[in-house]
Amino acid sequence: MDERLAKALEFSNYRSTVENQKRNLRSRVDSLQTITYNNGTFKADKSTISFVNTLINLDNTEIVVVDERNNPIEVSDPKEFLTTLVEAYNGSMNEFLAESKKLAKARSIKKIMDW
Amino acid sequence: MSYNGVCFFAYNNKDIDYVKLALLAALYVKKFMKNNNTCLITEEGDFKYLVSSRGQDLVDKAFDEVVFTKVKHKQNMRTHFDSPWTKFTSEFKNSNKHLISQYSPFDKTLLLDIDYFVRNDSLDYLFDSDVSVGMYQQARNLKHEPPFLYERYLNPVGIPMWWSTVVYFDKSDVSEMFFDIWAHVADNYEFYKFLYNFPGALFRTDYCVSIAVHLMNGMVGTGDMIHEIRDQKMVYMDQKDELWEVKSPTDWIFLANDRNEPWKDIATRNYYDNIHMMNKRSIDRHWKEMLEVLDV
Repeated sequence: MDERLAKALEFSNYRSTVENQKRNLRSRVDSLQTITYNNGTFKADKSTISFVNTLINLDNTEIVVVDERNNPIEVSDPKEFLTTLVEAYNGSMNEFLAESKKLAKARSIKKIMDW
Repeated sequence: MSYNGVCFFAYNNKDIDYVKLALLAALYVKKFMKNNNTCLITEEGDFKYLVSSRGQDLVDKAFDEVVFTKVKHKQNMRTHFDSPWTKFTSEFKNSNKHLISQYSPFDKTLLLDIDYFVRNDSLDYLFDSDVSVGMYQQARNLKHEPPFLYERYLNPVGIPMWWSTVVYFDKSDVSEMFFDIWAHVADNYEFYKFLYNFPGALFRTDYCVSIAVHLMNGMVGTGDMIHEIRDQKMVYMDQKDELWEVKSPTDWIFLANDRNEPWKDIATRNYYDNIHMMNKRSIDRHWKEMLEVLDV
């Protein structure tokens, strides 16, 4: 096989592998951000955190938040709920950042797989 | 305080040592879940073989309870792949899966297939919830592709398919009704096959539970009688994929096969996901490494 073609195919394989690893990572982040609270399922993302924080700032002591499956969930301790959300968010983002950096540095399939 | 735990069905055939796989799957539950009491449901002969082949110590570490059944299974032949290039057919004994609510010694039970490997604690929340029955409805493979059409719907214009790989249930009227319907569908499988127009000669419990969900939701497409686990997709390794390397209990490398160009694979490294590993021979090839990294 022509050397240039061989290199191009190797690069193509490397890119497919990187893209799939990125999807794995996003899926992992999604999983880490999914929390269950009082029988509801929530995503600890920017909008949920901002919304809950806004309600707390407006001195709401008991709130109702619609969860991922559109069911109303009573939150009797919004501050505790916010803490849970923020912890899940921070945990997921720290892992996202660390793993993304590792992936960006790995310039071959062997490096990605630690072979 | 309720007694909760995880159950596995395992009946050996001449090609696949199901109890050996169940032992490993149970040890992963022990490692990663908080609700980690485990129960093996099997035949006495298979259990004796497990003890003699793997040793009493390891079996005791894996299982807290063992339930023996004496069921005459209907003949059910299943075609398995081991990579795109190897195919074999073997007997699949699953005709009593709906009797789990009678067999389970637990108040709240998570029923897992023996090829479902738990690598995190994300399923523990079910035991603290008021969910009566929970399963996965959506799935994705190692390349983040959806399953084939007949593993998403019972027919191209049919009802959604739910996976019986992971079934959580409590002891409530709702779960009792669910298992009654499952039993009814299983007993009248040919009729429901005609009615729901699903394919194949294999008796699939996935189809039974899907019909049970449909009936319990009032025969409409959507409803929330049955809980969809974490609102997330079940991750599965296809039968044509290969487990390549086990670096740690949570860090595995697979070769994911290309559906359209089967001579191609890509390496994919998976951390922490619970995985339904459909290629059982691939698990068998790596059984020792998967056990060793657990350090039991």
